[in-house]
Amino acid sequence: MTRDSALDVLARRRGDEVVVSTMTALGPWRERAGTDRDLICVGFMGGASTLGLGVALARPDVPVWILDGDGSLSMQLGSLVTIANAAPAKFVHIVFHNGVYETSGAQPLPAEGRVSFAAMAEGAGYAKTVRFDDVEAFDAELDDLLDADGPVLIELITQPAGAFYQPGPPPTGRTKGALARNWPGVRDALAADPAS
Amino acid sequence: MTTAEPIPAQTLLDALLGAGVTDVVAVPDTHQRSLISLIQETGEIRFIQTTTEDEAVAVSAGLIVGGRKPILQIQHAGLYACVNNIRGVALDGEFPLVFLIGLLGRDVSKAPTENFGSMVRLAQPLLDSLSIPHHLLDGSDDVGLVDQAFDEATQRGGPVALLVGAETS
Repeated sequence: MTRDSALDVLARRRGDEVVVSTMTALGPWRERAGTDRDLICVGFMGGASTLGLGVALARPDVPVWILDGDGSLSMQLGSLVTIANAAPAKFVHIVFHNGVYETSGAQPLPAEGRVSFAAMAEGAGYAKTVRFDDVEAFDAELDDLLDADGPVLIELITQPAGAFYQPGPPPTGRTKGALARNWPGVRDALAADPAS
Repeated sequence: MTTAEPIPAQTLLDALLGAGVTDVVAVPDTHQRSLISLIQETGEIRFIQTTTEDEAVAVSAGLIVGGRKPILQIQHAGLYACVNNIRGVALDGEFPLVFLIGLLGRDVSKAPTENFGSMVRLAQPLLDSLSIPHHLLDGSDDVGLVDQAFDEATQRGGPVALLVGAETS
């Protein structure tokens, strides 16, 4: 399964969810299905799922999807326990497991080949966990998974996409950060559609 | 001479309620355990527990996106642990996060920066280095700073820290 084929499957289901994306999924996701309910996790690796958890706890009426990375989640594994404890019902945590730190040059993830994020989420207490290495199977089961009581963790075994990070020129003046430009719009979109 | 006195948990809880706080996002703190117990017993403010302070920062930011008014309750060691998330979320992301930080182990006869223990002594210099405004809650007369901290955080578009000087009673 490629990252992009999995994103295509998700993009076809995009509705009014808040989607928190990070690392190599962020750009391709926003190109496919970006809306004013897209939050970004940039500059605090590992924080996508807990940023989304906060939204889910504030607005339990709104589904929240997390597009996470294997290296990212590994940096804050305790978040699995925190999320399981909070038990947000409409929370789908999708982990792209490509086995490498892709943006820094595709160095292998520690314990790659043995580590299972679905198994760790199950052990943490997620309501449902599942693992796919085939995009057709993922597509076939996704509707049921999106309707299931959460938190749900979907681990996708994907091929590295060769998304090496090449930084642009250093900032030369005081500019708002990407997250500072992003989140007020999501807040306003949610406020315009209050829970009934 | 004592420079900090215990603040009753009820006094601090009233200050949080008066400021309109909806959620306390916390990693357990020995120093503020009486307040944690009272929050959990009364249920007037939602208590959200995380396993790390990094998570507490991100969860609080998400709560703000969703229209809530959280406060983070952590210990000084947790402040040191979550510096990158404070930088990435609260500072660069311009989230108006307010922190309640317990100065566990402080010699209350001295100012924090005059303490021998590095956990207490380095908290204010670290906040200064991050350009985060901070205020000491050294007694019940200081709890009005809770409400002011939220105003300050909103006005500056960034974090503000409240340092709980003595163990809450």
